[in-house]
Amino acid sequence: MKKEDFLNKLRQNTHFQYDMPKEEIKGIEYEDTFEQFVRMTETVGGHVINDVRKDADLNELVRRAYPDAKVFCSNLKGITLEGLKGGNDSTALELRNPDTVAEANDLNGTDVAIVQGTVGVAENGCIWIPQTMKEKALLFISEYLVIVLNRKNIVNNMHDAYDRIGMDDRYNFGTFISGPSKTADIEQALVIGAQAARGVTVVLVDE
Amino acid sequence: MSTIHSKRAARFVADAEKTSWHDATFWSVREKRDKMAQQLPEWEDLREHASQIKKHTITHLADYLEQFSDSLESRGVKVHWAKDAAEFNETVLSILQSHGVTKMVKSKSMLTEECEMNPYLEQHGIDVVETDLGERIIQLLHQKPSHIVMPAIHLKREEVGRMFEEKGISKEKGNYDPTYLTHCARLHLRDQFMQAGAGMTGCNFGVAATGDCVVCTNEGNADMTTSMPKLHIVAMGIEKLVPDYKSLAVFQRLLCRSATGQPTTAFTSHFRQARPGGEMHVVLVDNGRSDMLADTEHWQTLKCMRCGACINTCPVYRRSGGYSYTYFIPGPVGVNLGMLRDPRKYSDNVSACTLCLSCDNVCPSKVGPGSQIYVWRQSLEKLGKADKLKKAMSAGMEYLFDRPAIYTTALKFAPLANYVPDCLTNIGNINAWGIGHAMPEFAKKSFHELWKEGKVK
Repeated sequence: MKKEDFLNKLRQNTHFQYDMPKEEIKGIEYEDTFEQFVRMTETVGGHVINDVRKDADLNELVRRAYPDAKVFCSNLKGITLEGLKGGNDSTALELRNPDTVAEANDLNGTDVAIVQGTVGVAENGCIWIPQTMKEKALLFISEYLVIVLNRKNIVNNMHDAYDRIGMDDRYNFGTFISGPSKTADIEQALVIGAQAARGVTVVLVDE
Repeated sequence: MSTIHSKRAARFVADAEKTSWHDATFWSVREKRDKMAQQLPEWEDLREHASQIKKHTITHLADYLEQFSDSLESRGVKVHWAKDAAEFNETVLSILQSHGVTKMVKSKSMLTEECEMNPYLEQHGIDVVETDLGERIIQLLHQKPSHIVMPAIHLKREEVGRMFEEKGISKEKGNYDPTYLTHCARLHLRDQFMQAGAGMTGCNFGVAATGDCVVCTNEGNADMTTSMPKLHIVAMGIEKLVPDYKSLAVFQRLLCRSATGQPTTAFTSHFRQARPGGEMHVVLVDNGRSDMLADTEHWQTLKCMRCGACINTCPVYRRSGGYSYTYFIPGPVGVNLGMLRDPRKYSDNVSACTLCLSCDNVCPSKVGPGSQIYVWRQSLEKLGKADKLKKAMSAGMEYLFDRPAIYTTALKFAPLANYVPDCLTNIGNINAWGIGHAMPEFAKKSFHELWKEGKVK
């Protein structure tokens, strides 16, 4: 159907018009926003690594969190294969780069992806992750997801979050992730790890 | 006077154990929703805002749709306009055919159910794979969803497990543990995502100002659907628009709390451009929505965001199940949407309501589904769908109540009915009110008489 005809019918069928609400919503604010964020992240099934210094070695941190992982994926500057070696297993580890893999399918079998979040939301544990890599599949296809977030970027509620989020102009995609993938589709029994990450670790970096 | 709903409901409640489980399960979802609502002091403000924002958007829909499509097109997204289900299905098929796609993965969309897209595409040789676990289960069982958010809720784990064994999705015979079965499905669906030539999602919210198509899931299946294949098709009913991010925040906060009693879905993804090397299409669908807009009594049903809160709280749904209704969406909102679709075809469902209005009180955008059902009932006469027995009784009562002399005389002799044996008042279930009810005993003296004798304090 032509767009004009489609819209004309809507215009003809509109009999009266309403205004937007005058006042804005006053969203909840927590006494301790940081603590609420940590609690919510854990409630939705995520793990939190707290009090990480700005110059800390992320490789070592990730290695300790996932000692059995073999295949990593990230395009963050600080993440290097070298840094990931030296755990309790000296067999070859693999680091994949979501910018240089040929296809999204090549990311299947990734154990741990490490990505950067830009806004954390205390009311529900959501973390905004703008796509900054060619293949966003790493956010979902990896068995486990590590999200790095600066603690100064935690806000109270979604109103504050939507005021702040942005997207990378190259990709124009972003997602709020709150904990691991889950489902209750069989008899309402909660199961963690449906189609996307089976576990999420949030690394909160100090200012 | 039996409706299809009441007959099917009778079969549903015949299994008392399953009925109790169904009832308790949905009531617990309702309670979780209450807990979420009580944690936010601004909850009622959010509902009122949601209602006002939707009223505004729906009555400025053409303008917002232009803004939305302009924004999408500015980033190379192809926007299609479908006036009805047939046009929608044809549009999707032609996109798929022009890319040589034979397998499409998709996340849950009530719009595609409404348009009966899957059977249409399958007839044309497209393998359509549902990727929401519940949707996949019922697809493999050739069933329809019994609930819009929890589509496979009517099934027990054994039924799912046995089907997974038959299809080769699960390997361990007799293992019906939900965690095991979910992980089997994860592996099964992983292959589907990687093989598919296209991915389709619905759209929970379209943001006019930015062109974002926002999709909310707990499983992350919409994200897998759009991260693996290069072609992304969004199926979107035009009522899903909101003006901007400020408005979106209100709805994002309400949706999942109302739907499942969680503070948010695990994934809230914003799409507004094709992925690198890919293509993105948005199909905007009217299919009766512009006519709903013109309906001065029922246009506010367009405010519905399909959270299912009204279904979970409904005492009739909880005790009769999704398959008792004749429209594919059950519960209070389904009764309304069915009537808007085809009132003659779906009028049976309007009696599946006690008018308790619990739904009105939980609806996050204040659609007022129960109040709307009341209004629909007033139109049954006009539609030629009023129950004949009830009509005759109403006429009789009107005659009686308009004539005090006859009424008083009738009342005086009413206690005689006490001597009529039960078997005569309920022969062969002719008297529907006699089923499951004992005949009340008439008092020897009426209230009126007692009042006159000064015996009423």
